[in-house]
Amino acid sequence: MTKACVKWKEQLLEAALTGTAAGDLEEHMKTCAACAAEFEVLQARRERMDTMLPLVARGAELPGEFRARVVAAAEAESEQKRARSVGGWVLAGATAVVTAALVMGLLLHWRAAPTVLEAELPAAERLAEWRAPSDVLLQIPGQEILQTTPRLGESYMKVPINTEEE
Amino acid sequence: MGSSGSGVTGACVEALIARVEAEERGAAFGARVAENQRRVFQIAYGVLGNAADAEEVAQEAFLRAYQKFASLREAEKFRAWVNRIAFRLALNRQRGHRRRLARDTVWHVAGTSDAVDGARSAEERVLVQRLRSEIESLPEKFRRVLQLSIVEEMGAADVGAVLGIPAGTVRSRLHTARKLLLEAMK
Ligand SMILES: [Zn+2]
Repeated sequence: MTKACVKWKEQLLEAALTGTAAGDLEEHMKTCAACAAEFEVLQARRERMDTMLPLVARGAELPGEFRARVVAAAEAESEQKRARSVGGWVLAGATAVVTAALVMGLLLHWRAAPTVLEAELPAAERLAEWRAPSDVLLQIPGQEILQTTPRLGESYMKVPINTEEE
Repeated sequence: MGSSGSGVTGACVEALIARVEAEERGAAFGARVAENQRRVFQIAYGVLGNAADAEEVAQEAFLRAYQKFASLREAEKFRAWVNRIAFRLALNRQRGHRRRLARDTVWHVAGTSDAVDGARSAEERVLVQRLRSEIESLPEKFRRVLQLSIVEEMGAADVGAVLGIPAGTVRSRLHTARKLLLEAMK
């Protein structure tokens, strides 16, 4: 079998796709057996292609219970979400209660601090400044730097620096 | 009836209404799934060529639709949305698959053997497999249009809605896709 004319190749494809050969191609095929044969081949191939193409997408079926499964999964998921959000609110509530308790505690502490009796102040100050005798043995180079940081009790009790005592 | 009794009744009524609403929502959603499941599955299967994967994609698409069901109650909206999301999910999954295939060639053999699980005879299987691989090698814009057009009930307007192109463009691309495929299927 001779090959179809290259010149008519495109039109042969078009004709096979639409199922009808345009006038000039039809005229040509009357005198060209190769193109006429190619047209037959292409048409048969196109028919086969169109029969098989849907199978690429429709080759399998969903199981019968698919719908029920999807609806159940959707409802379970939204139920879970609802439970999570309720849980979230409970957690948020608990956090708020704990925070409120802490704030109250701090406020009470802050209000209680200034009520330390005047007479207790010098004693508290001495206690904060007291060093064990062994402190000398534990001294390290550059200790002065450490001494510039607030001592225990100072920042909390707001003890005024008593310059007269020195 | 005392005041405490009417309070309990109010709570009961509220719970009942919530339950009825949930049931009504479930039924409406179930109806939408029934209307769309076949097409949605085919959209995924056309891309993936594997029934188990396509089923998972279809389920995921519907679960996502359920999350947005309040705005997708209308049948047409639901249909367009779920078509689009299923196609996107299928393409994502295919990309993941390809990465895995590239890593492990043993999987490639398994992947191709079950890629035609739906075709009937052995000859048909071979042909469908061949078509699938030829479609895969089409330029993307033609491939996408063809993959969607071979799905049942997917007209040019539906395909266009998924891809965000006019129906006329869908038709001309489909024609070119078929021509390229016909030429390739020698
Ligand atoms: Zn000729």
